[in-house]
Amino acid sequence: MDIEKAPPDRLVPARQADRDGAVKLNEVVPRRHPGRWLATILLLWLAFSFAQNVATNENFHWDIFAQYVFAPQVIRGVGWTILLTIVAMAVAISIALLLVVMRGSDNPILRTCAWFWIWFFRGTPVYTQLLFWGLFAVLFPRISLSLPFGSEIVGLDTRMLVTPAVAAIVGLGFNESAYLAEIFRAGFNAIDRGQLEAAQALGMRQGRIWRRILLPQAMRVIVPPTGNETIGMLKMTSLVLAVPFTLDLMFATNAIANRLYLPVPLLLVAGFWYLSITSLLMVGQYYLERHFGRGVDTIRARTE
Amino acid sequence: MNAIMTPPPRSTDAQPCVHLQGIHKFYGSVHALRNVDLTIKRGEVCVAIGPSGSGKSTLLRCINQLEEISAGKVYVLGELAGYAEIDGRMHVLAPRRIAEQRRRTGMVFQRFNLFPHMTAIENIMEGPVHVKNTPKATARENAQALLKRVGLADLAGRYPSQLSGGQQQRVAIARALAMEPEVMLFDEPTSALDPELVGEVLDVIKDLASSGMTMMLVTHEIGFAREVANHLVFMDQGAVVEEGDPRAVLNRPSNPRTRAFLSKVL
Ligand SMILES: Nc1ncnc2c1ncn2[C@@H]1O[C@H](COP(=O)(O)OP(=O)(O)OP(=O)(O)O)[C@@H](O)[C@H]1O
Ligand SMILES: [Mg+2]
Repeated sequence: MDIEKAPPDRLVPARQADRDGAVKLNEVVPRRHPGRWLATILLLWLAFSFAQNVATNENFHWDIFAQYVFAPQVIRGVGWTILLTIVAMAVAISIALLLVVMRGSDNPILRTCAWFWIWFFRGTPVYTQLLFWGLFAVLFPRISLSLPFGSEIVGLDTRMLVTPAVAAIVGLGFNESAYLAEIFRAGFNAIDRGQLEAAQALGMRQGRIWRRILLPQAMRVIVPPTGNETIGMLKMTSLVLAVPFTLDLMFATNAIANRLYLPVPLLLVAGFWYLSITSLLMVGQYYLERHFGRGVDTIRARTE
Repeated sequence: MNAIMTPPPRSTDAQPCVHLQGIHKFYGSVHALRNVDLTIKRGEVCVAIGPSGSGKSTLLRCINQLEEISAGKVYVLGELAGYAEIDGRMHVLAPRRIAEQRRRTGMVFQRFNLFPHMTAIENIMEGPVHVKNTPKATARENAQALLKRVGLADLAGRYPSQLSGGQQQRVAIARALAMEPEVMLFDEPTSALDPELVGEVLDVIKDLASSGMTMMLVTHEIGFAREVANHLVFMDQGAVVEEGDPRAVLNRPSNPRTRAFLSKVL
C-alpha cells in the first residue's frame, strides 16, 4: 500500500519568486478615471443641498420627529414588528422546506398536498387571509377531535389558541411559505444531479443528503431572494391591522399621528425605523451569502 | 446504531464480488442493456470498453443501484441488490437498506462530482463521519493519509474549484476509498481530463489495482485497459459481445463488432 509515487502538488505563492529576487514584476500604472471624480463632486453637491433643504424645512416638523422617534410606544412597535417578521419568516421557512421535500418525494399524496397548499396561499390576497385568521375564533369557536358522529375526545376554546399575535404570525407565515417554496424549489433544481448521485454512492440516507449536501448548495441560490422576501415581510407586517393586531410599528405611529394631526413627522419616524431594520437585515444577509458561497465564490472573474 | 444492525455477510474468496444475471434495462423504449451476464471475482480488475451509447455507464450504475434494473438480478458481495426475494417475488427494499448496500461499493464519476461547498479533506471525511459515524479526529487522520496516498497531501484545505481536474478526480477517488469499499466502480474517470492530467489519475488507479482492490472500470484508454485489466468486457448496443482475457480480446478479437471497434480506436 505504498502509493506515494505521485509528486505532491505544491502551491507556490505568486510573490515568492519575486521575494527571491528571481522575477521583476511589471510596474503597473493604474488607469485614471477623471469622469468618476466629476460625477462624485456633482452628486455630493446635489445630496448636500437636498439634505440641507429637508433639514431646515419646517413642514417636516423635526422637533416632533425627535420627540417621538424613541418614544416607548414606538420602541414597543419596533420590537413587535421585528418579532412578527422573525417568527413569521421562521414559520414560512420551515413550511417551505417541508413543501419542497414533499414536492420532490415519490409519494403522490404528499406531492398533491404540497401543490394545493402553494396553490391556495399564493392565489389569495394576504390581506384576505389575515382577515380570515382574525375571524377564525368566531368561525370555529371550538376546535375538537372527535370520532365521526361520536363524542368529543379533546377540545379547546379557539380564542385561547388563536390570539391576535398568533393569527398575525400564522397569516403572514403561511402566505409567505407558498412563495418561499417556489424560491427553494428553484434553488434545489439548480443543483447538478451528480451531487445527489455522489452522495447516494457513498451510501448516505435521504435525510442526510438533503441536510448535508443539497441544502447548503441550494442556500447559495436561495439566500438573496429570501433576503428580499424577509424585507418584504418586514413591511407586510403593517397589514396585521386586518387581524386586528395593534401593537406593530405602523399602527403605533399612525395612532400618534392621528392624535397630533401631524402625519408627516410620524411617517418619518416609521420610515426611519423600517430603514434601520432593513439595514440590519442586509448585514445579516451579507454574512449568510458569504458563508454559503464558500467553495464557489473563491474565484472571481476579472472585472473591467 | 451500527452495532445493532446485522453485519453484512462478508464475501469469501470463492464468492464472486459482483454477479449479474440476465440484466435488462429500458429507458422508456430504449433498450439500454440486453441480457447482460457478468461475474467479477475478488481482486479482479474488470475493464469495460465499447462504442459510445453501448450501455457501459448504465451497467456500472446498475451495480450500485443508481439505476433501477428492468429485469434480472444483481448480486454484490453475495447480497441481492435492491430487493428481497421472497417466494420468487422481488420485494423492493427500504431506501435505508439500499443506502446500506451502497456503502460496500465505491464509485468514481466521469465529472468528479465533488461537493463544491466542502474542502478536499471535508469531501473525504463526509462519508466516514456522516454515514459510518466515525469520530471526526479519526476520520481526519484517515483522510489525510488518503490524500497523501493520492499525492495531494498539501491541498487538504482547498475547495474543488481551486483544484485542477486531475487533482479533483484524485480527491474523488480518495473520497470513495474513505468508505473502505470492497468493490470500486470507475466510470470513465479520465475522459473529462486534459491529456497531460490523465496520467496522474491512471497512476492512482494502477496502484489501487496492484493493491488487490476489486474493481470495474469503464474507459476509452485501450492502452491502460491492456495494462491493468485481467478481465476485459466488450459491449455493443447494450449487450456483452465478447469478454475474457484482455490480451486475447484485444489481440485476437473473435467477434466482428469487436474487431471493427478496435480497428478504429487502436
Ligand atoms: N436517462 C436516460 N434516459 C434515456 N436514455 C438513456 C438514459 N441514459 C442512457 N440512455 C441511453 O442508454 C444507452 C446507453 O447509455 P450509456 O450512457 O450507458 O452509454 P455508454 O456506453 O456509457 O456511452 P459513453 O461511452 O458515451 O459514455 C444510450 O443509447 C443512451 O442514449
Ligand atoms: Mg458512459
